[in-house]
Amino acid sequence: MGQTRWGQTWKQVVRYRALLFMMIPGLIYLVINNYIPMAGIVIAFKDINYAKGIFASDWIGLKNFEFLFKTNDAFIITRNTILYNGFFIILNTVIAIGLAILLNEIRNAVAKRFYQSIVLLPYLISMVIVSYLVVAMLHVENGFMNNTVLPLFGIDPIAWYSKAEYWPFILTIVNVWKNIGYLCIIFLASIVGIDHEYYEAATIDGASKWAQIKSITVPLIMPTIIIMTLLAIGRIFYSDFGLFYQVPLNSGALKSTTDVIDTYVYRGLMQLGDIGMSSAAGLYQSVVGFVLVLLSNYIVAKKDRDQALF
Amino acid sequence: MRSNEMNQTALNIFMVVLTAACLLPFLLLIISSFASEQSIIKLGYTFFPSEYSLEAYKYLWGESSSLLRAYGITILITVIGTSVGLTISALLAYPLSRGVLPFKYFFSFVVFFTLLFNGGLVPTYLVYTEIFHMKNTLLALIIPGLLTNGFFILLIRTYFATSIPVPIIESAYIDGASEYRIFFSIVMPLSLPILATIGLMLTIAYWNDWFNGLIYLTEPRLFSIQNLLNRMLTNIQFLQQNSFAGNNASAIAANLPTNAVRMAMAVIGVVPLLCVYPFFQKYFVKGLVVGAVKG
Amino acid sequence: MRLTFKFNAMLSLLLALALLLAACSSGGSPERENPTNSEGGDDKPVELVFAFLNVASIFKDLQKVEDEINKITQEKINAKIKLMPIDVAAWTQQTNLILAGSEPLDLIVSSATLNYSSQVAKGQIIALDDLIEQYAPDIKHTMPAEILAGAKLNGVTYGIPSVRDFATDYGYIARKDILDKHNIDLSTVKTFEDLTAIFQILKEKEPDMYPIVQRSQTVTIVTDMFTGYIDGLGNNIGVLNYDDDSTQLFNLFESDIYRKYSELAHEWYKKGFVPPDASTSQESNTAMMRANKAIGYLSNFKPGFENQEKVANGMEMVAVRITEPVSSSSTAASFMISIAKNSKNPEKAMEMINLLYTDKDIVNLLDNGIEGIHYVQAGDGTIKLPDGVTEQTYLATQWMIGNNALAYPWQGTAPDIWDQMKAFNESAKLSKAIGFVFDTTNVKTEVAAVQNVLDEYRPGIESGTLDPSTIADFNKKLKDAGLDTMIAEKQKQLDAWLQTQ
Repeated sequence: MGQTRWGQTWKQVVRYRALLFMMIPGLIYLVINNYIPMAGIVIAFKDINYAKGIFASDWIGLKNFEFLFKTNDAFIITRNTILYNGFFIILNTVIAIGLAILLNEIRNAVAKRFYQSIVLLPYLISMVIVSYLVVAMLHVENGFMNNTVLPLFGIDPIAWYSKAEYWPFILTIVNVWKNIGYLCIIFLASIVGIDHEYYEAATIDGASKWAQIKSITVPLIMPTIIIMTLLAIGRIFYSDFGLFYQVPLNSGALKSTTDVIDTYVYRGLMQLGDIGMSSAAGLYQSVVGFVLVLLSNYIVAKKDRDQALF
Repeated sequence: MRSNEMNQTALNIFMVVLTAACLLPFLLLIISSFASEQSIIKLGYTFFPSEYSLEAYKYLWGESSSLLRAYGITILITVIGTSVGLTISALLAYPLSRGVLPFKYFFSFVVFFTLLFNGGLVPTYLVYTEIFHMKNTLLALIIPGLLTNGFFILLIRTYFATSIPVPIIESAYIDGASEYRIFFSIVMPLSLPILATIGLMLTIAYWNDWFNGLIYLTEPRLFSIQNLLNRMLTNIQFLQQNSFAGNNASAIAANLPTNAVRMAMAVIGVVPLLCVYPFFQKYFVKGLVVGAVKG
Repeated sequence: MRLTFKFNAMLSLLLALALLLAACSSGGSPERENPTNSEGGDDKPVELVFAFLNVASIFKDLQKVEDEINKITQEKINAKIKLMPIDVAAWTQQTNLILAGSEPLDLIVSSATLNYSSQVAKGQIIALDDLIEQYAPDIKHTMPAEILAGAKLNGVTYGIPSVRDFATDYGYIARKDILDKHNIDLSTVKTFEDLTAIFQILKEKEPDMYPIVQRSQTVTIVTDMFTGYIDGLGNNIGVLNYDDDSTQLFNLFESDIYRKYSELAHEWYKKGFVPPDASTSQESNTAMMRANKAIGYLSNFKPGFENQEKVANGMEMVAVRITEPVSSSSTAASFMISIAKNSKNPEKAMEMINLLYTDKDIVNLLDNGIEGIHYVQAGDGTIKLPDGVTEQTYLATQWMIGNNALAYPWQGTAPDIWDQMKAFNESAKLSKAIGFVFDTTNVKTEVAAVQNVLDEYRPGIESGTLDPSTIADFNKKLKDAGLDTMIAEKQKQLDAWLQTQ
């Protein structure tokens, strides 16, 4: 019986050898770029001494991980990281899908192309430049907000860079502004790929636009939504370093609401240059993300095997 | 019908407001690059500087030989990286999208796993420099970003799986077409929207990449435009936030580019990408047409 | 079927091409550095790679300068140097990576502020004592013995300090025209508190400018006031006074002097002498000066400093020195040259170091470029740009590498600047712990946590933005983060170090 199963698999392999062959360049690449370096995960558990070499260095167990958990800040940075990223996942997905659907509804082809181009613009510039733009808006003396916007409402100038309570909103707005175009284009590509027959049939049946969106568009782009969400969940412990470090100008007064795992690790390790500790932080972020993805994927797979990632 | 027109008008107005929100900061960037340094420090970045100046662009013109070189390198790595990366990604994604692929879930996992785990910077660096000797070569700017960690593969795979009707593939196979022929003559043309999208994303990633240059290059002659830009900005920031420069801090600061120059660098770094973007747009539209023909 | 075949062939071709490309490029680049050179005859010269910090230097003509240096070194020690400047911002990352692998690297600039102790602990740089004895006996004549000894770690030399200013005093420096306009005489200032009255006048007379700006987020107003009195022993965690004999470390942030100057800075801030965004500003003091928004700033000084700042700010400056010159514990280790573990020729590398400390031509090439192209003699012992040359194509920093006393000063600086420097260095009060370097290996967790607390509070308190009442919270958080453990560890190391002196 085992033999026949193997035999069958072998027949499949022979029949679809072309498919397997196509994957070779990509798989070789992943092995070189991703799998071989994974041996380096041992660094997280070692006290690296270059005179001895990486693999011959002493094992020190979990000592490199201690700085992530030992202090009072550990709670704040973990809370901030999860809350921000969790919120970003939901907000970005909803806004991006909405925007993609609206864009797809526009009939004037020239206008549509124009809007598409512009929405993606913020994605093209680096966070460093974004941080300059935010300064231009929020500078205490010269900023656009304090100089122009707030006086309109008779509000006194606000020292934005020392008031932590405003930053959850500021960071969220900056994040949406910068990243929404990218997500939107990905969803738009999926929507454009939907067969027009579905809509035609629905229109003939007298379905409203809203009903069409609800029962055709969203279900058909569901695989993309699921992929994007699962990927985002996998990276929930990583943060956009530029957003949390450059945009608040590394201001100490804002740390209670802007400090995340990545910035904490960066600040601490600038002093130490210790690759053992940075590897430990990276591994911690990976493992948590991995567990969360396996969990979410399991839930998705239970509902519909084909929509799951693996 | 009339309500439909109204909807379109409302939609357009909404979109115009939105595009304005995306555009204005760019305008600020461009205006600031034409503002005099005195104006920027006195008034901040503003839509109405007290004084305009071409100083920043004159400064960049003085650097034009290294800038042009860097532009050339950026274009080269972007073109090669995007085309090779897109080809490899599509070739890897297509079999994964086919239900019939032997060991499908295993291979999917192999790809997906790379998204979550990596060996970290140092081991990756050692693989590329000690085994493949890529330090201070242009390959170091191209190879490490080729598949952008498998993320795009999953996107393409999902598109293939949902938008290419399986019956078409099956009937082609029955007609005697090989898998390669099916892939190149049927699947690829039907997938222009996603290929254009991923192509654009790869282009942006290569164009904006400074990290590989930062770790693999010590020779400025190989720097891309983003490496130049990033080097300038991070040096300024480093000096601002680290005390070690101590004695010579101000002598150093005098040598650093001004605010306006930083803005001008950002502008010239972004503009070419804006020029390429409509080119990809064309393929979005073609993708639409293909979709219509199909229906 | 034929398509299949073609496609397979194409794939293999692609792979072969990629491998070929990799092989070519890896073989190609080192070749460039070895132009066929058979002059020397018998032995092929050894190439030594030298990594040093590029701090906004001008290196357009680096290759030309390198070639000139190599003419000398090939003749003298049959070795060539390959200069590898690395940007300050990328330094830690790039050197860490290079030292993790086996790339060619022989000489490297090291510094107590750039992980010197961890480079030693991790075996990235090698012990030099025997090599110095054998291949560079002249170095010890170029600097005071306590400075050379001050670079030792656990009794072993891992780096050789560059010859430069080994002391510093602190005070206030401001633009001359404004002070003259309002008849302000800085020489009446004896303490930092005396500045308040002057700032008050400046604030009233020049409402569009700030009398004092901060130099950066870490070189804060308060730092510039206490550093003349406090020996930070590297990181300001567990410190000593200069003017007593105690070697008992104390917590700077709970000290009276820290509170006193934080209160003074806060008073200045409240009176509007300091810019309101001082705690987050990304503008350097120089940028603020050039934009006519600042009148002056606190700073550390050395002989010739006014002229250096005049060049930087583009205006005449006057300064008042408020504290006495001091040499801190990390003076020696703040810029050194070391030999990397990667080096295949440590002996040749040491011979090269010897030249950097003794050969006037090499030092001038490295610091100032080629005579006649990048500079000409001005006649009084100083140098200037050649006539008609408006754009500098080579200029390196005169303090990081080797024996800078051999370099010609630029016009505008006193020709006898190095004699002044020597007298200044000798007049300085030496730290009780000169040469002590804190090894953070055992307290890494605490270092990371404490650093985060410092980043949170220091810019606010030390720019005067925050009320000094927050110092209590600051200290509580520091203690939660493990400050006391760090100080105890440092005390232990200091006591052990003192035993060996």
